[in-house]
Amino acid sequence: MPAVTTNRTPTMKNLNTLLAGVFLAVALPFGALVLSGQSQLGGLGRAAGEEGGALFPAREPGLAIQGRAVYVSLGCVSCHTQQVRPAGQGSDIARGLGGRPSVARDYALQSQVLLGERRLGPDLANYGARTSQINVETLLTDPASSGAVWHPSYRFVDAAQRTALVAYLKSLRQDYPSPEAKLKK
Amino acid sequence: MTQDNRSGRPQGRPPEGDGRVSRGEASLRGPFLLFFVSAVVWLLAASVLGVIAALDLGSMVGVLRDCAWFTPGRIATAQQDLFVYGWGFNAFFALNLWLLAQLGRFEFRNGWLAQLGGVAWNLALTYGVARVFAGDMTGYRLLDFPREVGPVLAVAFLLAGFWPIVAFARRPTGHTFASQWFVVGASFAFPLIYLLAQLLVLWQPASGVVQAIAHSWFVANLLQLWFGASALAAIYYFLPKVLERTLTGYYLAPVAFWTFFLFAGWTGPAALVGSPVPLWLQSTGVVAAAMMLIPVIIIAINVLGTLSSQGGWARAWNDTTLRFVSFGAVAFTLAGVLGGVFAFRSMSAVVRFTSFATGLEQLLVYGCASMVVFGASYFILPRLTGALWPSAKLVHVHFWATALGFLAAVVAWLVGGWQNGQLLANPAVAYADVLRAGSAWCLVLKISAVLVLVGHVAFALNAFGMILKSSVPADAGRHD
Repeated sequence: MPAVTTNRTPTMKNLNTLLAGVFLAVALPFGALVLSGQSQLGGLGRAAGEEGGALFPAREPGLAIQGRAVYVSLGCVSCHTQQVRPAGQGSDIARGLGGRPSVARDYALQSQVLLGERRLGPDLANYGARTSQINVETLLTDPASSGAVWHPSYRFVDAAQRTALVAYLKSLRQDYPSPEAKLKK
Repeated sequence: MTQDNRSGRPQGRPPEGDGRVSRGEASLRGPFLLFFVSAVVWLLAASVLGVIAALDLGSMVGVLRDCAWFTPGRIATAQQDLFVYGWGFNAFFALNLWLLAQLGRFEFRNGWLAQLGGVAWNLALTYGVARVFAGDMTGYRLLDFPREVGPVLAVAFLLAGFWPIVAFARRPTGHTFASQWFVVGASFAFPLIYLLAQLLVLWQPASGVVQAIAHSWFVANLLQLWFGASALAAIYYFLPKVLERTLTGYYLAPVAFWTFFLFAGWTGPAALVGSPVPLWLQSTGVVAAAMMLIPVIIIAINVLGTLSSQGGWARAWNDTTLRFVSFGAVAFTLAGVLGGVFAFRSMSAVVRFTSFATGLEQLLVYGCASMVVFGASYFILPRLTGALWPSAKLVHVHFWATALGFLAAVVAWLVGGWQNGQLLANPAVAYADVLRAGSAWCLVLKISAVLVLVGHVAFALNAFGMILKSSVPADAGRHD
């Protein structure tokens, strides 16, 4: 084996060099991923999908904003995502989770973005548009009778909070055209 | 056998320690035991919650699930936070401090400061978890605590977790060993990433999906730069130390260190493939995850290469410390390789949103980091307490219950996640049927959670019995 000179390399001995290197290793990705992400997406606002059309995303009703707090406090995000992937990246569109992939603009008005990482239950990004026929309140209090598999019961949530949660779930919709993604016909 | 450089010190292995407990080591006893005992208490709490969460899985009825405090969303969150911030951080406060004190012949004069930090850390954590149970959480995984907890945890970290850097700065010799770089990196990187993430996710939230980008950046950094780097430091130390052998290809270790730190920070967006974030971000994450194969391969050469030569595996198997540590080394390699391969679009399209990501994360956090901490405790505690492990039987129960329980869970997460993803990819299979198809894996996870709890109880009984029994002054400690 050749003579080993690792310890003679000053970079591995000098604390300042070591700390400077680690600092850069943290700061560069932060700047390049998070800060430039912010500069690219931070200015997104409401826009019309077609020229002269209505502006989307719609402003959130106050009750829905309260409902989001309930959604967060029950930990719904640990089993539900709120993002529809484009065709070719999973079967989200084919399964009818949404009429188009989610785009960054859809979340521009939300104070808290709950994209989620795990689907033990179905995606909710477009839930309001998909479930006009389902009684969401019954699903929350008596999931078994609504045919939901594994869904916990939220009977312990008081009526006011439940109303807010239902309003929030119904407000989740991405069934409008966006400049970045057209609706599937 | 050892290769000496010009100053006559062996390379590729930590310097020979004194067989007897040094004064420096004795000065660590207080802080080390505080961190260690808190870590094990939190580990037990997390494992009990883990069993409750597992019993909830895949059934309509679970323990206590109609009670607000124990609704599945909160249990899962509290379990994860206790495991990561309770067990993971306290354990590595203890281990990192001991490692760098050993390698830098550090005598700890301000131990009370570290203990103060430890107490503050544990109080803030207790408060945060109580708030999670009460439903006051943020919705961002691993940043779940209400935002006032963040600054307290950050200050507590500086008090409790910064000493390894001091020990490095005050080391009497110019020489360094790989473990020192990794610990210094981990101890310095964590407060940075934690404060930046707190700022952009909770205090001054970035707009829209940038929150999700910042969050993915934080989670990847936390897992790799704290758990990964700290565990690697211990692997690099104990392997050559106990085998009394030089690491294979040690001259590559600085490359492993720098590439590990260089690429790990960019891997976050690999968890966002298909999400509504810019494509360039997703691709950067995928490329970084693939580049992580460079440090992973070098570390495999260093570590698994050493184990594979001269009957290393057999010797590792027969030594309690090395049995756990080499389990961790294999888990690290596996996590790195799978993480690189499954970051690619076509693969992540299948496994995204399934339990696969949990499996990868647990390979690193449990299979590697926790097992390495277990192994290290078997080495360090007898020295610090001057006592012997009370029961050899409990050591075996600990190893087999945690190893088998963990392996079963990892197979369930990875293979179950893959199957789940395959079914989901086929729109003809109804969603309810996809869920029902995973029932068998849920059963495996339940059994595994119980096994792991049994292992942790055995470990805690043994360790606490030993600490309580040790009335012998630490200076009389022995080294086996």
